[in-house]
Order: sequence, then C-alpha cells, then structure tokens
Amino acid sequence: MNPAWWIARKESGEILVNGRGLAWLFALTVIMSVLSLLLVSNTELSLLDNAQVVYMVMGTITALGALFAVVLGADAVAGERERGSLMPLLLTSVTPSEIVSGKMGGQASGWTVMYLLGLPYLWAVGSSGQNLLQAIAYLALFGTLTVLGFGFFALGLSARFKSVRTALLTSLISWMLLASPLLLGPSLRQSAVGRGFDAANPFSSSLNAFDSVVIDSQPFSMQTGRLAVALAWFVLTAWYAVRGVRKMEL
Amino acid sequence: MIVEIRDLRLILGGRPVLNGVDLTMRAGDIYGFLGPNGAGKSTTISVLAGLRPPASGKVEVLGRDPVAERTWIHRRIGVLSEQSGFYEWMAAAEYLKWFSGLSGKRLGEAEATLRLRRVGLDGRDRAPVGTYSRGMKQRLGLARALLNDPELLVLDEPTNGLDPRGRREIHDVLLEMSVNDGVGILICTHLLDDVDRLCTHLGILSKGKTVLEGSVAGLLAGRYAAARYRLRVPAPESAVTLPAGVRVASRSGEWWHVELSGAGDPAAAWRELLDSGLRIEEIHQEGGGLEELYLAATETREAV
Repeated sequence: MNPAWWIARKESGEILVNGRGLAWLFALTVIMSVLSLLLVSNTELSLLDNAQVVYMVMGTITALGALFAVVLGADAVAGERERGSLMPLLLTSVTPSEIVSGKMGGQASGWTVMYLLGLPYLWAVGSSGQNLLQAIAYLALFGTLTVLGFGFFALGLSARFKSVRTALLTSLISWMLLASPLLLGPSLRQSAVGRGFDAANPFSSSLNAFDSVVIDSQPFSMQTGRLAVALAWFVLTAWYAVRGVRKMEL
Repeated sequence: MIVEIRDLRLILGGRPVLNGVDLTMRAGDIYGFLGPNGAGKSTTISVLAGLRPPASGKVEVLGRDPVAERTWIHRRIGVLSEQSGFYEWMAAAEYLKWFSGLSGKRLGEAEATLRLRRVGLDGRDRAPVGTYSRGMKQRLGLARALLNDPELLVLDEPTNGLDPRGRREIHDVLLEMSVNDGVGILICTHLLDDVDRLCTHLGILSKGKTVLEGSVAGLLAGRYAAARYRLRVPAPESAVTLPAGVRVASRSGEWWHVELSGAGDPAAAWRELLDSGLRIEEIHQEGGGLEELYLAATETREAV
C-alpha cells in the first residue's frame, strides 16, 4: 500500500477515534442542529422561503467545514512537531511528498465526514423544496474545493511555523477574513469593494454559486467563473502546502 | 566503515553549532557518543540521518551520502530520537504495524507481538500508547527503531526513564544485536554506566567539536585514564609511602579517595600498600576510569 494512503488512513483514524476529533464533530453537529431547528421554525412561520433556508444551511456547512479543516491543518505538521512524532516519521523511507499527500488525504476524510453529517440537516430543511439535489451536488463540488483549500492553507502554515498556536491563530484570522462575506449585507456586496471581494474570494464564489443555483435556479453554465475561482484557490493552497512540507525543518 | 564523519561543520540560524565532529564506526561496534547538554550530539544525529545538510565536512553512512540518498539510508538504519512522540490513541501493536506499513512491509499480529516481547512489552500490546509509562514508551520507541532490522542503530538516550531491570534488559538486546547480527549501534547518553557496560568505542563532543575518540580500552589505557577507588583505612600509626601511580585525591574520616594512573596494576598497588603496614578494610571502585576520562576531556575543551 502506498505510504501516502497509509498516512491518510492514520489521519482519518485520528479524526474518528481520537477524542479531540470527535469533540469537534460533536460541536459542529450541535451548531447545525440548533441552526436547522431555527430555520425550520422560520420556514413554518413563512418568515423565510425554503430555497433561502437551504442556501443558508449550505453556507453554514461550508463555513464550519472550513473551520474544521483549518483546525486539522494547523495541527497536521506543527502539532506532530510539538508532540515529537514528526521526527520518527521523517526517519522512515517516506518522502515529504508522500507525507503531504497523506495529510491532504486526512483533510479530505475530515471534510467527507463533515459533508455526510451535513446531509441530514440539508434534507431536513430542503426536502419540501425544489432544489435539494442541486444543493447536495453543488455543496459537494464548491464546498470541497473551498473547504479543502482552507485545510491545505493551514497545512502549509503548519509546516512553516514551529508552534501549533501560531499556525492555528494565523489560519483562523485568514478564515474569518475570507468568511466575512457571510456577514455582508446585499447593498454592501454591490459596492466596488464588495464586488472585488466577491470576485476573488473562494467563499464568495461558493456562496454566490449556491445562491444562483438554489435560489435563482440558474444552470451550471452560469457558474464557470465562480468554479474557476474556487478551483484556483484549491490549486494555489495545495501548492502552498506541498512547498511548505517539502521545505519543512525539524 | 558504516559511519564515517570527518570535520563535520554545521551552521544553524547563523550560529556555528558543529565545529569539527569526527566519528568512525564499523559493523558490530557499539559507540558511546558523549558530551555535555547542548554539545551537539542530537544535531550530529540529525545530520547523520540526512535530516540536515552539513555546511562542510565528510559524512558517509553505510558508504553513502545521507542527504542525497536519504530514503535508501532510512530503509537500512533505525533511529530512536530523544524527542520520540507517539500517536497516543493507537495500541502498541497497531502502532508498530502502521509504522511498518510506511516502509511497504506488512507486519502481522503475531510478528508485532513478538517484536514487542523482544523489548519487554508483552501483555500490553492492545493498550493505547497514551496509557504507557515513560519507560514503556521508550521500549516501544526501540521496537519501532528495530522494525526494519537495521544495519545501523542510532539511539539517543535509550535508557531514559527505565528502571534498573529495564535498563539491563535493553542492554542485553543491544549486546545480542551487536555480537550476533553485527549491527553497529551508536548510543548518545549521559549514563556512563551504559557506556561502561555496552560500548566498544567512544567519542566525546564538547561545544560542537569531537575532543576525544577511540576504543574504550585504548582510551582508558591512555593519558586521561585514572581509575578512582574509595578505600576504608583506619588511621595509620605512621606515615605511609605511596607506591608509584597511586595518589590520594582526598580523605574523609576513614575513607580515602585514591586515584590510580592507567599504567598501574590495582592488585599490585594494594599489595604494596598492605605491605607498607596500611590496614585496608574495604576497597570500592568509583565510577571507573570513564568518569575521569569524560571530565578530563570536557574540562580541557572548556579551558580552551
């Protein structure tokens, strides 16, 4: 079996067996449960339409998935270094490329678990609407690129910084800055700054694609620009992580 | 030669860390790598393992450049580093199987148990590593270092945290590997007792430079060697003339601390002292000549 796969398997095990990984997943499901309950109540009272609610749940799953990925990524190398388990890994015949691929595989597992946990909530709020299947598909496509991009970015920082705390805080600051479109109102998003931010921000690309597909029922052909931004984010952050792990110091 | 390091120099963060390290090992040697804290022992190991490129000097491990051929070297050496962390949620047997899998080798349940038993960890192979004591983790680290049946084993403080019985068991494993399998073993340690019991060769590092290197027997017979003894001697009635090569370093009541130069034969010296009318009631050897050797070598460097 390929060493990268072997490392990815360990990373996945760490998420699902280790207390810390499970605690994070538990916290994320609690947040999703509370949010879904509020949104379903709002729909029942006709305060929000069904598509709007699905869009909000998709955005929240993406944002929380990215937060989870950031936490995992920041710990991936700096955490191993702090706990003394990086040195034994470097002393095996595994190459840095295999290490980074394995770590990325672990991130993908984390997001897969998060995505699967999010599906029942998406179904709960969207099963009575028109665009549930599109929502599930677009969350898989845009959510994966955005979330894993955040994880890879944190992984790159983790390889460069010696302490988990520094890597985690820097990653969280970046996550909050980029996730801020979730908080921008419609008028602010129409301003020049808002439009510029939207055009270059992977979070905005995902949210705008969700909006376009789920609320406005627009086709995939309208999403290519947004997909390009999300894809560029994914490729750039993957490159950043690979470069960081290849150059990492003890 | 399985390790040949000549005039190794390394600069980290603009500061010279290694300033001329020499180290030579042959198959089957057990090499004690000594030196004060911060002398550069662990850094030398990281260079030897190909994890840091040297600024200058010759470094060859199993006849190859460890930086250029890191993967090849790592398949053939085992390293127990000083900072040896574990995945605490894994069971010991699972941990060994996972590590073995990284090198593309499948380790079966029975073999994992056998390897754990070899380092004295039988019966606890299903317990999470997080529940292990420090000594048990040290044993697991050794089992991990032995996974690829290495030609060269590098151990940084291998008996840290072990009780006397545990130390003895690990010593036996290492001696067996060296004698039966011809494995070269490099041991970084502060415990001169480990060196005394195990090592055939010795290198002393001080401030990033090798200040002494050679076979233990050769060095002890050399100029630094002076074995120390503690003698219980009731107050002599008259002045005693000491034989050549014997020096009283200090006295404390009935206890005399005596130094015997490398060339002196202890039995002959004691006989001569007894013949001169001195009543010696007890004789204890103190720290062997190794302690003297170490102190003299590191003090010389401090003075420089």
